[in-house]
Amino acid sequence: MSKKVIMLSVAVLFGMQAGLALAANPDTGPGCGLGKLAWGDFSHQKNIGPQVLMATTNGTFWSTTFGISSGTSGCSNDGKVWADQKTTMFAQLNFENLSQEMAQGEGEHLASLATLMGVPTEDHAAFFAMTQERYTSLVKTGETSPVAMVKAINDAIAKHPVLAQNSTR
Amino acid sequence: MSIVLLLFILLFAQTSLLNAGESPENAYLAELISKSLQAKLADEREWHLLLHYRANVFGGYTSEQDDPGFFMSPDGKTDPQAELQATLKQFFSGELIGRSKQPAQCALIARYEWLRNQLHFDESLLPPQSCERFERWFADFDVESVSLIFASGFMNNPSSTFGHTFLRVDQRGQTDQTRILAYTINYAAELPPNAGPEYAVKGIFGGYRGYFSTIPYYLKVQEYGDIEDRDIWEYKLNFTPEQLRRLLTHAWEMGNAYFDYFFFKENCSYHILSLVEFAEPSLHLTDRFALFTMPSDTIRRLMEKSEMVSTVVYRPSRGTLFRKRKALLPDSEYHWLQKMVVAPSTAKDQEFLDLSPQRQATVLDIASDYLLLKSSGERLNNNPYQQRNRELLLERSKLKIRPENMEISPFTDRPDLGHGTSRASVGVGWRNKQLYQELGIRAAYHDLLDPEKGYTPDAQIEALSLAVRQYGPENWQDSGFEKNFTDTQTRIERFTLVNMVSLSPMDGFFHAPSWKLGLGMNTVRHNNCRLCSNGYFNAGFGGSIESHWFKRELFFAFGEAEANYSSAYEEWHRIGGGGTVGMLADLADRWKLMASGTYLKYALGENSHDVRWFVGSRYTLLQNLALRLEYNHRDRDNDVMFSMQVFF
Repeated sequence: MSKKVIMLSVAVLFGMQAGLALAANPDTGPGCGLGKLAWGDFSHQKNIGPQVLMATTNGTFWSTTFGISSGTSGCSNDGKVWADQKTTMFAQLNFENLSQEMAQGEGEHLASLATLMGVPTEDHAAFFAMTQERYTSLVKTGETSPVAMVKAINDAIAKHPVLAQNSTR
Repeated sequence: MSIVLLLFILLFAQTSLLNAGESPENAYLAELISKSLQAKLADEREWHLLLHYRANVFGGYTSEQDDPGFFMSPDGKTDPQAELQATLKQFFSGELIGRSKQPAQCALIARYEWLRNQLHFDESLLPPQSCERFERWFADFDVESVSLIFASGFMNNPSSTFGHTFLRVDQRGQTDQTRILAYTINYAAELPPNAGPEYAVKGIFGGYRGYFSTIPYYLKVQEYGDIEDRDIWEYKLNFTPEQLRRLLTHAWEMGNAYFDYFFFKENCSYHILSLVEFAEPSLHLTDRFALFTMPSDTIRRLMEKSEMVSTVVYRPSRGTLFRKRKALLPDSEYHWLQKMVVAPSTAKDQEFLDLSPQRQATVLDIASDYLLLKSSGERLNNNPYQQRNRELLLERSKLKIRPENMEISPFTDRPDLGHGTSRASVGVGWRNKQLYQELGIRAAYHDLLDPEKGYTPDAQIEALSLAVRQYGPENWQDSGFEKNFTDTQTRIERFTLVNMVSLSPMDGFFHAPSWKLGLGMNTVRHNNCRLCSNGYFNAGFGGSIESHWFKRELFFAFGEAEANYSSAYEEWHRIGGGGTVGMLADLADRWKLMASGTYLKYALGENSHDVRWFVGSRYTLLQNLALRLEYNHRDRDNDVMFSMQVFF
């Protein structure tokens, strides 16, 4: 039951749907508070009871955040991610996938991050190699703040002989 | 001169009289309304699609849309003409309307663009307003195409086997590597926090409201593919730029709408289809769903128009990727995998390092997938699985090797290739020296013996199934082939309200239990009663394991409890417990076998026990046609039936 208390209090606190644990984090810009958002907080998904019950509604998290023409809020602009937040939000919400792909030297989340950061497709191989090279430091930074990790990657791009030239950001 | 002046004054007076009663705006509005009446626009399919009108049984229309702010006329919900007129009127105004708080031309932009095209608005009389918010929203999509995404069922949650559909708006220049950045258009119920049994009831009877949202695809992929272990199928739709604009303008309008969420009929798939229908009105998709809408059926309807769908892409869940890849590992590496997920420091073992870097990388990659899988099911950040994964990935990053390309095929085929969601059956059988014929009908959905193609493996969910039998005549040997109808008995043989089974194979990595639940009525022979109706409720909990001796076998065992209600029993009821063991085997591609044995001891009510055997075999003829041979045994009760199932 304590899990439900946490969920309930958090949801009430932030007026969002079940299970979202938001923490204010100045990093992400206009008070969206995605700071420490982790999908891990949705563990109740895997318990049979609530699952079977919730299946009848296919209720989804994020519906309120991304409601169409819902106006502007900290998190979204008429249901879309603010342009200047796209990269940081992506890095934050996909951190585990990104860690895996940076270690492996390739992957769609990494390619998508590169695209968000303005790296053209032909330079993706160089981008992958660079993030794999700096894996340990990037992941350490990212574990505390994915936003700082994005900044670190940007800095690395700026200093990279190939990437600095073609990057559009 | 004075006459001219007089005439002038009169003319002026007349025009000002006109102005007082009818401004140019009102005059033009009247003209537009009259044109629309002449063209009968309020009867047009497009208008009905935009307003989501449905014909009532006894005439007239009612809109399925439930937010009053969506209608410009107080009678908008039931009067298409009134709504059209009120909409036209509202276009002249800059008043901010609807939940989205925009002028009508922008808030209801699909209506605006359609009416403008039909009535050829004169821009000097009805000036177009700028819709910055919409234009920005639309431009941001940079839309090239739209895909219909189907998230299939999740093992261990049979009700998710119905699947979920939503749309993805594909961007120009998008590659398969960057498609997760695309926005989706999703319809779902908004739920209050705190799960409880009321979810099920409210979800079925419209107790919640459903809204449209544009969630980035990467979040949907995480929700379905990573957390919920559901495979995804992406159906790319063929739309022209004009159709895409229609779809998106209507989606924008949906920001002013909500629909009471009805799990069976007006669910996600239904409302997503309505967007597709407006884009291409010649498609009659939602009409086909009168009582309930099954997501897989919606895809089948779309696939019927082969020119609608260009490509289908399969996107395995992380769980599927893991299961399939580990099955490809040789025994020695499987053993490393088992150690690795428990202790990532194993990666530094000299013996492990003796493997080629490629093999090391493969084992680590598979292990990492498993740890991510387990981690996403955990409540906390920094859970042990996450920690282990981080340790493991550190080692992985030292191997500068790309992941091995392990092509995997899905466990089950595309959902549209599966059998229809309803089933009718006809059979003949022999029970305790009596011949019988049986007719059956089932509303939904899929049982363990039905052809598995396109359905979540090892999951069963049946709802509203009825079987009627005609037994007799008594002694058919005596009467030869003549039937003496007074000797036959027709009865409702079985009625199933709900019957769910979830079998989750366990191994070193997965420990989810299997379970079953059934509520219904069947026919038993007991005590002095030859054929007695018997109500039952059965629930069981257990486990299953998989093997591959022939093709594939699944062995299961349950501990269960059962309650029976029937005139056949002393005290009319009995309640007890016991267990079932059984097996499901794929004998060939189209041939499946199931066998089970159950023992139940009833302690409450009538003191008795029950031993049951079942052996059933199914052979698939076509996508929607199958044959079965089934044998059921209880005490002094033997039943063999041969039947044919037709799915629709």
